[in-house]
Amino acid sequence: MTKTIVITVSPSGESRVQTHGFLGAACQAASRFIELALGNRLGELLTHEFHLPQQTSQQQTQGNGQS
Amino acid sequence: MSHIVTIKTEVRDAHAVRAACQRLHLPQPTHGNHQMFSGHVEGLAVQLPNWRYPVVCHLPTGELHFDNFSGRWGDSHHLDQFKQAYAVEKAKIEARRQGHSVSEQLLSDGSVKLTIQVAS
Repeated sequence: MTKTIVITVSPSGESRVQTHGFLGAACQAASRFIELALGNRLGELLTHEFHLPQQTSQQQTQGNGQS
Repeated sequence: MSHIVTIKTEVRDAHAVRAACQRLHLPQPTHGNHQMFSGHVEGLAVQLPNWRYPVVCHLPTGELHFDNFSGRWGDSHHLDQFKQAYAVEKAKIEARRQGHSVSEQLLSDGSVKLTIQVAS
């Protein structure tokens, strides 16, 4: 999945930073450099994807065909 | 999306200030001790259109010092434009410094949307 950071700067100069394509807390690490560069954090909203695990490991056991 | 953060812009980067001035076709900022109505202020001065006094950027704190007498000595809209231009240019500088590509789009409400493609 393509990872992007979207920054919307309002006409009054306030910025909103959104991350897309990241799972778990990786989004915070990814956008941290922009947040620090722009200024002072006023608030943060965590979305559903933030609470998903960063990596999903799937283990498949294949049966031997016998019922 | 994963998280959304709202940020109040702090003007701390002289290079981004210069880029913002260029973006808005303003004179280049000047560093020094500047006369304001309330006294002298040290910092990087930006001369906004039709403002009696410059807006002085105190880079160590990110604060802006200005005297516009509630709009009588300068339209606040110009100050907002400068803050927006600074945030846009600063974000572009930092994204490119990290090796990412950036695209820019002007939205119908006057906001500027930057999309940073994170380099893998």
